[in-house]
Amino acid sequence: MQNHGMAVAVAAAIAVALGGAAFWLYGHGEGAKLSLSIVFGALFGFILQRSRFCFFCMFRDWLDERDPRGMLGLLLALGVGMAGYALIFGAWLPDSSGGRLPPQAFIGPVSVVLVAAGLAFGVGMAISGSCVSAHLYRLGEGSPTAPFALIGTAVGMAFGFLTWNTLYTSVVVAAPAVWLPATLGYAGTLVAGFAVLAVLTGALLRWKNPRLPEPPRSGNVAHAIFIARWPAWVGGLAIGGLATVAYLRVAPLGVTAELGARSRQAAGALGILPSRIEGLDTLRGCVIAVGDALLTPNGLFVISLVLASFAAALVAGQFKPVPPRLAHIVKGLSGGVLLGWGAMTGLGCTVGTLLSGIMAGALSGWVFGAAVFVGIVVAHRRKGWLWRPVAS
Amino acid sequence: MIKQTIWAGALAFAAALLPTGASANPLVTTDWLEKNLTNAKVRVVEVSVEPGQFERGHIPGAQNIVWHTDLVDTVKRDIASQEKFQALVRKLGIDKETTVVLYGDNNNWFAAWGAWIFSVYGLNDNVKLLDGGRKKWELEKRPYDNRIEAVKPSNVTLAAANTKLRARLSDVLGVVNNKSNVTIVDIRSPDEFSGKIFAPPGSQELSVRAGHVPGALNVAWGRAVNPTDGTFKTADELKKLYAEAGIDGSKPIIVYCRIGERSSHTWFLLSKILGYDVRNYDGSWTEYGNSVGVPVTNLAGTVWGGK
Repeated sequence: MQNHGMAVAVAAAIAVALGGAAFWLYGHGEGAKLSLSIVFGALFGFILQRSRFCFFCMFRDWLDERDPRGMLGLLLALGVGMAGYALIFGAWLPDSSGGRLPPQAFIGPVSVVLVAAGLAFGVGMAISGSCVSAHLYRLGEGSPTAPFALIGTAVGMAFGFLTWNTLYTSVVVAAPAVWLPATLGYAGTLVAGFAVLAVLTGALLRWKNPRLPEPPRSGNVAHAIFIARWPAWVGGLAIGGLATVAYLRVAPLGVTAELGARSRQAAGALGILPSRIEGLDTLRGCVIAVGDALLTPNGLFVISLVLASFAAALVAGQFKPVPPRLAHIVKGLSGGVLLGWGAMTGLGCTVGTLLSGIMAGALSGWVFGAAVFVGIVVAHRRKGWLWRPVAS
Repeated sequence: MIKQTIWAGALAFAAALLPTGASANPLVTTDWLEKNLTNAKVRVVEVSVEPGQFERGHIPGAQNIVWHTDLVDTVKRDIASQEKFQALVRKLGIDKETTVVLYGDNNNWFAAWGAWIFSVYGLNDNVKLLDGGRKKWELEKRPYDNRIEAVKPSNVTLAAANTKLRARLSDVLGVVNNKSNVTIVDIRSPDEFSGKIFAPPGSQELSVRAGHVPGALNVAWGRAVNPTDGTFKTADELKKLYAEAGIDGSKPIIVYCRIGERSSHTWFLLSKILGYDVRNYDGSWTEYGNSVGVPVTNLAGTVWGGK
């Protein structure tokens, strides 16, 4: 796209199409959820693209440059979302000790299987250069790796379904789904959660690189919103807020439910899956739905995410399609398989299990997050042995 | 004369205690409910199947019942015990003077299942359904709320389960073997009834035989409902619909479906709207169709070939 005016026109057309679809669906019976899924998906894609909210990049900036800004943005998103979720929970389940779990929140079973899933996901992030949500928004930027990483993710999920029954019956079935407010109460969970965030923030600031380059200042508001990269903290604030309203109205933020359902459908059609996936349809998490419907809330959410990211990248001049080389394909596919296996086995990815889980006060969110971090550190440090890095 | 006056006075007094317009009718209208939301004698309770539905928006002041944990025994297959159900009813602040209005999604299927359980435990005169449930409430653009009101628990003591409202496998077999003069009504779809399919697509609970209980009459539950707003058809229309199928209330009735929920919907209308003598067979086809040695009519002749 050489002509910026043309790019802006295409982006405007996408925005109108998304808005029009949301508007049309709203008036049709059960369509309110689908309509909101389009709106939330588009906002998520826009925020991710504009603030380059990529979990792996945040970890990598810290590991390589001791640049804490991305990580601080992530911690801010968690803090805002934790407060937002607590506000909603307090209305829905006034007494958190009653033995019930809040509906649809991502509160997964905590076991060694979750740790293994997080490690695999972290290694997959380091190899493919992103997590699933970042591959989705990079798809809209024309990334040469993202399509293969997403194909790999679907394949990895099918592997996940294959290993699930064994893991479920031997480990997961007895693993507790720990919801912190059930024991600590909402206030206690917030205090504990904010304390952890404060300690992590302190550590990031204590060991940060004192000579980080200042980001360029942008002149006017339109430039700051549509062209310049948002500071990570703006993205963090926006994602925390979006996570809260998305949970209030439709479902927690998550990007792998539809991918998981389609992968399960495809693998089922090929006859390589056990016909019964034990326990999965009763667990709470990202990868549970068996998709029959053509339009599901999560399907529309993901499609809108990619389209909005594409539109945002066009306007910002960041849509730069690169023809894939072999290294992109290998990295994408191999990392993607690990991402897919991890996301299926961990019942979600860095958005569902980590972000939405931690916001919901689920121990599984913290455990998955820690395992992902370890996986990234190990794989990132050993990258010279494992593969030759290429620009993504 | 004095006796009559006292009686009339007592009746008037009793009527005054009842919420307006909710007297004998087992259904309440959306209009009536909206006017009675703050009536202390009315407790509105949602029984929906979709998780998160109640929490994201319910009729203002409503309480919630989760049908698959609150209304059943979660270990053995049975309805909630008297003790468990009594604890639930107390928590919801319901006593014997409360008018309980149940409503839900899916044309009130699960609300009707709830109403059947309330009736089994002696609250038959208290429990009513909001005609049309969530569907009609939404169509009429009435408001929802997502806050949950605290209610003061009651200390009601419930009666033991009324076995006259519930049929067991042995009762159904008694009818099949001509030991009793009872009409059995299968409310599943015609394809399940004929044995073309074992269960609707996506059903987790299956039976290893297709077909129906010999002698059962098939009236699919949905025929009793106005599809536009989910309300029941009028009593006259219902009477005619079932009379045409050979069900006129002259004989006791047993209704069943696949797992006992949808049949509660038909139980509700036959027993509470038309006043027939009806039992709900909650074991339904997943019990009957899996039982060894019981007679089955399988018109389609579909053979079980489970993997």
